[in-house]
Amino acid sequence: MDTLTMLLHGFSISIIPTNLLACTIGVLLGTLVGVLPGIDTISAIALLLPFSYNMDSTAALIMFAGIYYGSKYGGSTTSILMNVPGEAASVVTCLDGYAMAQRGRGGAALTVSAVGSFIAGTIGVIGLTLFAPPLAQSALAFGPPEYFAIALVGLIVLTKLTGTSTLKSILMVTIGIILGTVGLDSMSGISRFTFGIDELDRGFDLSLLAMGIFGIGEILTVMTESNTASKVPALRFRDLYPTREESKRSVVPIFRSGILGFLIGLLPGPSGTTSSFASYALEKYCSKNPAEFGHGAIEGVAGPESANNSANSATMIPLLTLGIPFCGGTAILLSGFMIHGIIPGPALITQQPDLFWGLIASMYVGNILLLIINLPLIGIFVQLLKTPIHILMPLVAVLTLTGAYTINNSVLDLTWIVFFGIMGFFLRRTGFEPAPLIIGIVIGPELEQGLIQSLIICNGSLTELLTRPIAGTILAIGSVFMLYHIIHWLINLKHRQKETISS
Amino acid sequence: MTEKIVTSFFLLTSFGYLYLANQLTFGTLQSPRSGFLPILAGITAVLISLLLLAKQVRSKKPVTNNKIDWTKFSFILIGLLFYITLFNIIGYLAATFIFLLYLFKISDTTGWRLPLLLSAASSAFFYLLFKYYLAVTLP
Repeated sequence: MDTLTMLLHGFSISIIPTNLLACTIGVLLGTLVGVLPGIDTISAIALLLPFSYNMDSTAALIMFAGIYYGSKYGGSTTSILMNVPGEAASVVTCLDGYAMAQRGRGGAALTVSAVGSFIAGTIGVIGLTLFAPPLAQSALAFGPPEYFAIALVGLIVLTKLTGTSTLKSILMVTIGIILGTVGLDSMSGISRFTFGIDELDRGFDLSLLAMGIFGIGEILTVMTESNTASKVPALRFRDLYPTREESKRSVVPIFRSGILGFLIGLLPGPSGTTSSFASYALEKYCSKNPAEFGHGAIEGVAGPESANNSANSATMIPLLTLGIPFCGGTAILLSGFMIHGIIPGPALITQQPDLFWGLIASMYVGNILLLIINLPLIGIFVQLLKTPIHILMPLVAVLTLTGAYTINNSVLDLTWIVFFGIMGFFLRRTGFEPAPLIIGIVIGPELEQGLIQSLIICNGSLTELLTRPIAGTILAIGSVFMLYHIIHWLINLKHRQKETISS
Repeated sequence: MTEKIVTSFFLLTSFGYLYLANQLTFGTLQSPRSGFLPILAGITAVLISLLLLAKQVRSKKPVTNNKIDWTKFSFILIGLLFYITLFNIIGYLAATFIFLLYLFKISDTTGWRLPLLLSAASSAFFYLLFKYYLAVTLP
């Protein structure tokens, strides 16, 4: 009842004209970001961080959250119409969505994707509403050892879930942690690795890093790779909606994958992408016609898109209640919080209830707005895809660089963003995933602070750290996870050796 | 080859970082200091880079990538560096106009009328947006 009261209060905040406008702008921009290949959610939020400096904090965060979950709606558009994923989590939608479009059922796929995203997104926000406050209460029992354990296990799990090479992901996370040590040490006040440059005392700005690696890096990649002309099929009005049969087949996958996506979203890692793949596998397993998957099965669109959106809402739980981002998207959202002087965590609900409940309520409102935007405006958004890359990318480059300059009014920041852009370009070409680097730079300082404080509290005794119930349990789960993957790797190695010998 | 170069770059950077981190105080387990995590992170980065480089050297799997126009890449980088240099000298509006025009031509936009028009309109739009709407100080 108390939750319901607070939620209703949150609605009253979310429908304040300023906040409603911010939500509308956020979901609209998020959809655009999702539609446009070449700009991902992290880059979009990073690009817009400087815009928010003069905005009210609640409105700014509502806008960023809108971009975050809004991009999941837009990502399916290019996946279905052009076989080009708008963002990583929509890769799976290409498999059946594009096949449906080729059969003239593109509109139906887009509609099912939008409706499924709305329903599953709402499931996710309900879960966030119900589970966030109790989780926040229990989080008050967390101390430095527990935060250290969460940060460490989060890093361990993330390195396995991202990219194909575990070693590369571990290296990226470590490089991220290393970059996070540049600047003033929060514990001792000493300048580390600044080379006497005063501007480096504040460390590397996270938004600068993200804009460089993802924004400039992506621009360099797209502008220098050979392009193929994209063809967007024309849609008739009646093709916009699914048939009764398609609707009937979509219902169960939407709800089932919505719940699956929510559960996966509670775990560290790129839960959007992970949940969409897991959902695809689940729906194919549960389907009466598994052979249809890959050739235009509506379940192959409904499930992954639903899981993706539901996971998004769930990822907000660890961010809001524990203050720890479990994926790149919430990592950049965390930077948005920090820029506005807000520290998410267990105290957020009690210290800033208006912000917390306003944000959650805005997600309900945002989901409705997204449905309203996406259905009638599909045709218009598709026209944007016709913007030639050679015109779009230079404009995005200038927007990125200008945004970077506005952070600190420093030309040095422009140099850094170009440096990180070159780094992002080469990381992409050599199979190094940039997302773990972002996680490393965000969680690194938390990890360091938690570790040092834990060692001081436990008088240097690591065994005492393990005997703390919550920290010990979390570390044990992390150890089991690592052990499982080491054993799995050893078994695979043995099989490969046997195959080599037999051949 | 590019993969090995990137890994070698990380290896060298990690060595450099570890060397600098060693100049900080490590402390003890009971009282860790500012060099505690940097030294651990540096050692980890060096070891992982070495392992990765060894794996890449032994691997016979060819790495396939989309073809890159390295000439275009070089010109874009030169353009970026010139933009940063000109930014404070000739001001945001002029520098952005020149940079956009340069990028449009690098990207093989045909003709001159469209790139000139787009560059002028876009640079003016961004200038107005940032300077007047967002009240940001621009050179």
